Amino acid sequence: MTSAPASRNLARARRSTGAPPQLVLDGVAKRFRRPDGTLITALDGVSLGVRDREFVALIGPSGCGKTTILRIANGLLRPDSGSVLLSNAPPEPGPGAGFVFQSFRLIPWATVRRNVEFALQELPLSRKERAERALHYIGLVGLSRFAESYPGQLSGGMSQRVALARALAVEPQILLMDEPFASLDAQTRELMQMELMSVWERQKAMVLFVTHSVDEAITLADKIVLMGSGQVLETIDVELERPRWTSALRSDRRFVELRDHLWHRIRELVLSDPQSDFYGRDLA
Amino acid sequence: MRNGNAAGTAQPSDHIGGWTVALLRLAFLGLLMFLWWIASIYVARNLIPSPLETWEAAKQLFAAGRWQDAVRASMATYGSGYLAAAAVAIPLGLLMGAFNVLGKTLEIYVYALSATPRVAFIPLIIVLLGLGFEAKMFIVFLGAVMPIIINTYAGVRQADADLVEMARSVGAGRFRIFTQIVLPGALPFVIVGLRLGATIGLINTVVAELYTAIGGLGGLLAVYGNTFRMAEYFVIVLTLAGIGVIVTEALRYVELRLGRWRR
Repeated sequence: MTSAPASRNLARARRSTGAPPQLVLDGVAKRFRRPDGTLITALDGVSLGVRDREFVALIGPSGCGKTTILRIANGLLRPDSGSVLLSNAPPEPGPGAGFVFQSFRLIPWATVRRNVEFALQELPLSRKERAERALHYIGLVGLSRFAESYPGQLSGGMSQRVALARALAVEPQILLMDEPFASLDAQTRELMQMELMSVWERQKAMVLFVTHSVDEAITLADKIVLMGSGQVLETIDVELERPRWTSALRSDRRFVELRDHLWHRIRELVLSDPQSDFYGRDLA
Repeated sequence: MRNGNAAGTAQPSDHIGGWTVALLRLAFLGLLMFLWWIASIYVARNLIPSPLETWEAAKQLFAAGRWQDAVRASMATYGSGYLAAAAVAIPLGLLMGAFNVLGKTLEIYVYALSATPRVAFIPLIIVLLGLGFEAKMFIVFLGAVMPIIINTYAGVRQADADLVEMARSVGAGRFRIFTQIVLPGALPFVIVGLRLGATIGLINTVVAELYTAIGGLGGLLAVYGNTFRMAEYFVIVLTLAGIGVIVTEALRYVELRLGRWRR
C-alpha cells in the first residue's frame, strides 16, 4: 500500500495551509416549512466550535436540531442567518467532510470497494489510486475479506464499518456522524465505538457526533454539547482519561455524576416540551 | 457468512434445485398433454384436436413453409414495434422522472392514454397509415410503449432519497447522482415495464394482423379459426404461447443477471 501514506501526506499538506482546521458555527438559524405551510424552527441562534482534532458530541432530545447542524456543517443546507466556516471557508458538500449516517446508506448494487470508491470520485485520483485507497480504508476497518461483497451480504455492524471506511477514505477535515451506531445491537455498538476510537486516535480528524446516548457521548467525546429546541443549552468538557471503556472509569464518580447530570437535563427537556410524547408526565 | 443477517437471507430449507423445478415443470406438461388428449376424445364434433393431430398439422405447416412465413411476418411486426416502443419510452420515462415539471405535465396524459383501449385507435390508424406494415408496427408500438414509460418514470421517481442525499454529501453532481444512483435504482422497474410491454406488444401483434391486412400468425389464426381447422389453429396458438414464454423468460434472465447483488 504505497499510495495511502502518500495521499495522507497530501491531505496533511492541504490541511496545513493556513490556520489549523476548525469548524465554527456562529449564530446559525434555520427554519423549515412543513408540508402544511407552517414554519418550524430547527436551529435558533446556534454557536459552537470544533477545534482541530477535537471530538464533539451533540446530545439532546429528538427534533432539537442536531442533525440539521450536521447537514449545515457539510454544506448540504445553508443557514437562514448566521455563519458557518470550515477551515475559514463556507462548507461545500464533498471530500472536506465525511458523513456517516444512522442507516448506513450503502449503494446496494455496488460492492464494498465500489461503495468506498464512490466517495473518492470527487478527488483527483486515478482509477488505480482510487482502488488502492479504498482497499486501504476497508482494511483499516477490518473488512479486507469482504471488499468484493455486496452490502446485502453484510451484517449491520459490518455495513456501518463500510460506511465509516467510506467517510474516512476521503481523508476529511471533519467526520460528521449522525447517530451512527443507534441501529446496532448493544455489543456491536460498543465494539464499533472502540473501532471508531482506534481510527480516530490514528487519523485525528475533527469529529462532530450526534447521539441520543448519554453513555456514548461521555465515552467518546472531548466536549459534549447539550441541545434543546434548536439552541445550545450547555457545553461540557469531558476531562476523563482515555480509554473510557474500563469498568473502573465507568464507575468513577466523575463519570457517574456527569451521566446523572446529563440524564436529568434531557429528561427535564423532554417532560417540559409540549411537542413531546411525554409532555407533563410525572416520571420521577 | 458468519452473521445472522446473511444466514437469514439464504434460507436453505426453502431452496429448490433447478433440476427439481425442471422435472416438475416437465411432469406438469405431461399432465396437461394428458388432459388435452382426454378432452380431444370427449369433446364432441372434433372441436379439440388430439395432440397427435396437432403434431401432424404442425409438420405439414412447417413442410409447406407457411409456419415459417407467418412467424417471420409476425416477428417483424412485433420486433420493430416493440423496439421502437422501448427506444421512445425509456428515454421519455427517464426525462419525465429527471425533470419534475415535465413528469407532472405529461403523466396525466400518459395514464389517460394507457387506460384507453388501444383497439379504439385502430380505425384511426388505418385511416392514417393504411393497412400495411407501418400500421401494424404502430399498433404494436402503441401497446408496448405505455407500460414502459409508466414503469421507467415510476422507477426514477422512487429513487432512494437517503442514497441521493449520501451522494450529495460526498459532492456528487446532478449528473453523477442520476447515472450512478437513480438510474441503477430504476433499472428493475424499467425491466418490469419491458416485460409488460412485451406481453401487450405480442397481443397487439395478433390484433394488428386481424384488423389490418390479414397476415402473419394472427392471419392464420383467423383463417383456421373461421374454417374450423382446429389442428392447424392449435399449432398457431401454441406458437404464440411459445413466443410469449421465450420473450418474457429472456427478459427475466436479463433481470436476474442485473440483480445479482440482491442475492
